[in-house]
Amino acid sequence: MHPFTQLFTFFFFLLFSAGAVSAMTVVSPEIYGRVVINNYSSRSGLVPVVFDHWLHRAKFTCRLCHVDVGFAMEAGATKISAATNMRGFHCGSCHNGNRAFEGRKIFGSCSGSVMQEEAERCERCHSLGKDVKKEYEFNTFINRLPKNALGNSIDWEEAETKGLIKPVDFLEGISIKRTPMKMDKDVSIESGVAWMSDVLFSHKKHAVWNGCEVCHPEIFPITKKGAIKFSMLQISSGEYCGVCHTSVAFPLNDCQRCHTKPVQ
Amino acid sequence: MTKLKTCLICIAAAAILCSGTQDIEKKTFSWCGVVHAQDDWKIEFDDVCSKTQDAVIFSPDELRNLIARCDKLKPLIEKLDETQRKVFLKRLQLCRDLFSFALESKEKE
Repeated sequence: MHPFTQLFTFFFFLLFSAGAVSAMTVVSPEIYGRVVINNYSSRSGLVPVVFDHWLHRAKFTCRLCHVDVGFAMEAGATKISAATNMRGFHCGSCHNGNRAFEGRKIFGSCSGSVMQEEAERCERCHSLGKDVKKEYEFNTFINRLPKNALGNSIDWEEAETKGLIKPVDFLEGISIKRTPMKMDKDVSIESGVAWMSDVLFSHKKHAVWNGCEVCHPEIFPITKKGAIKFSMLQISSGEYCGVCHTSVAFPLNDCQRCHTKPVQ
Repeated sequence: MTKLKTCLICIAAAAILCSGTQDIEKKTFSWCGVVHAQDDWKIEFDDVCSKTQDAVIFSPDELRNLIARCDKLKPLIEKLDETQRKVFLKRLQLCRDLFSFALESKEKE
């Protein structure tokens, strides 16, 4: 590679890293992965819903919610509504007031009632800007989990491997019985620059939480190896790996977690 | 001898009656004509979408068949009420898109 090109790419990498690090550090671990949902809330006189991924991902697989329950990977595309929740879909798949988890009854989501006690229940989700007491407090919750410097400050992979979390992958009445995923092939993705090691993508690791249809073809429409060249610019703007690894899974500035192959 | 003949005729008649209600494409079986039409789409949906994890091991013909089954299901789901339609069309789309993706990958191999 021409020395000038090398210098340019290195400069670009530094710029990217600086941007990525500053972008990540402004988000506190508790807020990392937070989704604010406001499809119909404001129109109905309610504040938007605050959904924290950390709590839900510790208990359920990504696949359960993004395939079986049908939450789209694209923000706002699901159009969750009080009507779908009350019918036992979307949030109402679990939050129906009847289902129990780990010995606790899961509180019911939306209801047509306007009683005062109902209002308190609404605020458990419709809580943007409100100081609502949560059932699970972040710092207490993460105490027992292995730490990571970035993202939620939790090493989710290690937590799962050590059995500290056991995400549920089947929801009675909602999920369909499936056989385990049969894809365990690793995919090597060549780094665009000589000084950065290649990526070794593990289908097996991703299959622990996901199903094929979470990623294919919506996020990765690649039907032939090498047909699409990924760039860190695209990824950091939320495409490909960036769909999860800029918002929920460990962030992009944790380079060595993906770029694992030694430089040749 | 007559008893055996009668027995054989009965077995044959039962087999004919039951095969009349067997939907080969759906691979479901309705006992002696008792068909729950309302839930047929859900049984078919569960059966088709339960196969997504195996998408990589299916042959192109099997994948084409699964895509066709998804396409047949779509108009049935479109007839449901708005809530169910919204949820199940999205879920069906996930299955269909995956089978189509797997087929395209196989054809490029």
